[in-house]
Amino acid sequence: MTQTEIIQILAGFVGSIGFAILFNIRGKRLIVTAIGGLLSWLLFVVFSAFIANEAISYFIVALVISTYAEVMARALKTPTTTFIITSLIPLIPGGSLYYTMACAFQGNLETFMQKAIYTLQLASALALGIIVSTTLAKMLYEAVKSKENKHSFY
Amino acid sequence: MQRGVIMIKTFGYAMDIGEQMLISGAEVHRVEESVNRICYALGAVRVDVFIITSSMVVTIYTSDGETYTQTRRVTTTNTNFEKLHRLNQLSREICEKNLTEQEIEEKFNAAVHCKKFPIWLEFVCYAIIAGAFTLFFGGNVIEAILSFFVGGAVRITTFFFDRIIPNKIFCKFFSTAITTFLAFLAVKVGWIADVDKVIIGNIMPLIPGIGLTNAIRDLFTGDSIAGLLRSIEAVLTALSIAAGYFLIAVLGGFAL
Repeated sequence: MTQTEIIQILAGFVGSIGFAILFNIRGKRLIVTAIGGLLSWLLFVVFSAFIANEAISYFIVALVISTYAEVMARALKTPTTTFIITSLIPLIPGGSLYYTMACAFQGNLETFMQKAIYTLQLASALALGIIVSTTLAKMLYEAVKSKENKHSFY
Repeated sequence: MQRGVIMIKTFGYAMDIGEQMLISGAEVHRVEESVNRICYALGAVRVDVFIITSSMVVTIYTSDGETYTQTRRVTTTNTNFEKLHRLNQLSREICEKNLTEQEIEEKFNAAVHCKKFPIWLEFVCYAIIAGAFTLFFGGNVIEAILSFFVGGAVRITTFFFDRIIPNKIFCKFFSTAITTFLAFLAVKVGWIADVDKVIIGNIMPLIPGIGLTNAIRDLFTGDSIAGLLRSIEAVLTALSIAAGYFLIAVLGGFAL
């Protein structure tokens, strides 16, 4: 791990905690979110050492972190949104979004298209990871629920 | 008749809980499920729930063959996951135990008025987020420190500005404009070489992360209307950020 990567991991961690406090997350849930924020960029660094395509690493990390969020949400009996949103903050492609914007402003059409497509790739990889984990969790949950009791809620 | 009156009152609580969950940042699917379950737990025979981000329509059918419908218009969003957690707990409790009306009311009020972090901490958090993400996207220490102060200043300004014109999209436009202006100013003075990293750090808290994540989750769990509404909101927010940047960048071409 290079020095830049360590700085990035720590900065992403601090940023996630900042967001968690903004969203009024407290107690145990704050700790879970902070760990998620730390893990998300750490995993990205680890995966991107093996996988050349950043979008694929994004997808895998998003999948792992949202699964983590689903599990922790069930364990702590709280909505999953809390953990997904704040833990995945370091993956939000803010940098490439800005460069897309800047290129559009400079009228540099070719780089603009490149940057725009890159941003879209990252965002959709992130989205796809979340979707897969959400859908799997829902299917699993419903399967367990219908097995336990067919007629009553809860 | 007596029973009907009780039903209407408890039904109102189900609506209140749903409304507050929506305001505090839950995805539509979760709210629909909670309201559905609460209504069944309160003794409805059939429940029809239709919720989108800005409106709720719920009809319940009681065992005496009467129907009640209530609607709620939801205009604000104010992300507060502590409140959401407590409301979620409350809806679970209503389903599991037989809470009396007073207990529900007490717990609901406790959840809605739950503890919040003080406002100065929110300013500090904005500053820390801006500084941290400037470092994250490759800025140096000077840029990070500058970004920290710009983030704090922008948040304080928008806090007061928001009281005059409470419009989220305009607020983000305004925030980006101030950020870009301060960044260009710092380059002009000679503190930093490039505006990029400072602006990136400062747009991170403005990017509609919650909106987009919830939009995706709503779209793929069957609430396409709510998902589309949220997506459009997120796109508009992103455009307003770009517009704020463009405005100052164009002016900056002449003045700075």
